[in-house]
Amino acid sequence: MTQDVRTPITQALNDGVLTRRELKELMRRSDGPAFVWLALWFATVGATGGLVWLTMDSWWLWPAMTLHGIVLVHHFSLQHECIHYTVFRTRWLNDLVGNLCGLVIILPNRFFRYEHCDHHTYTQLHGHDPELIPLPMTLKGYLWYISSIPYWRAKFSELFRHAAGSLNAAERRFTPKEEHRTLILEARLMVLFYLAILGFCFMTGNWSPVWYWWLPVVLGEPFMRAIRMTEHVGRPNVADMTENTRSNLISMPMRFLCWNMNYHAEHHYAASVPFHALPRLHEKLQGYVHVEPRGYLGAHIDIIRQLLGRSPRSDKITSAGE
Amino acid sequence: MMREKVWQDVIAVAQLEPGDVTPVTAGDRELAIYDTLDGIRVSYARCTHGAANLCDGYFDGCHIECPLHQGLFDARTGAALAAPARVGLRMIEARVENGMVQILI
Repeated sequence: MTQDVRTPITQALNDGVLTRRELKELMRRSDGPAFVWLALWFATVGATGGLVWLTMDSWWLWPAMTLHGIVLVHHFSLQHECIHYTVFRTRWLNDLVGNLCGLVIILPNRFFRYEHCDHHTYTQLHGHDPELIPLPMTLKGYLWYISSIPYWRAKFSELFRHAAGSLNAAERRFTPKEEHRTLILEARLMVLFYLAILGFCFMTGNWSPVWYWWLPVVLGEPFMRAIRMTEHVGRPNVADMTENTRSNLISMPMRFLCWNMNYHAEHHYAASVPFHALPRLHEKLQGYVHVEPRGYLGAHIDIIRQLLGRSPRSDKITSAGE
Repeated sequence: MMREKVWQDVIAVAQLEPGDVTPVTAGDRELAIYDTLDGIRVSYARCTHGAANLCDGYFDGCHIECPLHQGLFDARTGAALAAPARVGLRMIEARVENGMVQILI
């Protein structure tokens, strides 16, 4: 039975924004760009980690750890690409690297994949999108979110709940029953992994993981929260993908760190297009998706203007084009 | 009494996307015609997980990936290979006769 359009890319094809042949060309997978990108990635992590080492006995340690942390929290971007299987052509490599990234930032990979599926199905829809970040009501609420305290609180309670063998009602909605045991095992392995490292620190007196990994991640997470806000916060809570997602034009180094995920509206339009082809998809979708030319800063100016009442709140918009 | 299945033309082979998946509508059925490494295969076009049209997904000659959630199916057998897809595709018997793709339906 013929059904209504369900995916943004089908809508874009029907609207004639790009042809099926162009889409298929953009979807073409390759391991090459990912290996080059990863080599640069390791070099960057090594360089910022080196700065932490060089500054260990000075007050410069804290800016160095923050810089290193900003790089480390961008493992989220790589993991995000991996759960879409768009980093490597070789599918199992995406699973491997996605899981390793998840270990770095305490984000169990398989659970994230299921949660993220519903984010793509119900983007920005209250009560349905499990990753929805609400537009804060006040400047205080905005700063509170960016502090990452609510994020860590939610993530740790989620991890420990899963490790204890329980999923809440919302999680049960987007995960199949047959997978619950796997997701619980995944959470337990994550907890065990961190306990093992903590045990190593206590037994050896070597606290390198704290200085080179955990503290930097804590210091870097507010930057990731601010970046994540630019994707959908301040855009209307409607199903129309031309309205509910924001792409941000940012500098080349930042594009490198986020694996081109600043082209977020393009990604939502065609989640099967690999990261290295997103700039080309951006060219195709110009004028069709919402783009913030001032980048992350412009997105935050837009958000702050809304919560200060300088421009209409996006969460009051009930239909596209309103 | 059940109607006996008959072979029906759906599309000319020359109109298929070579090495890719081609969308076809037959009556009220949305079909996906796969030009696989093992020959032509036909399934219902909608993903069994989120009902996205698989014809818009990535096809490597053997596997079709859902464009919405990247669930994976074997286009030759219909088997669901990767989450979130769990239920296999409904395949339709197909053949090529006189330059036409035909389905038994």
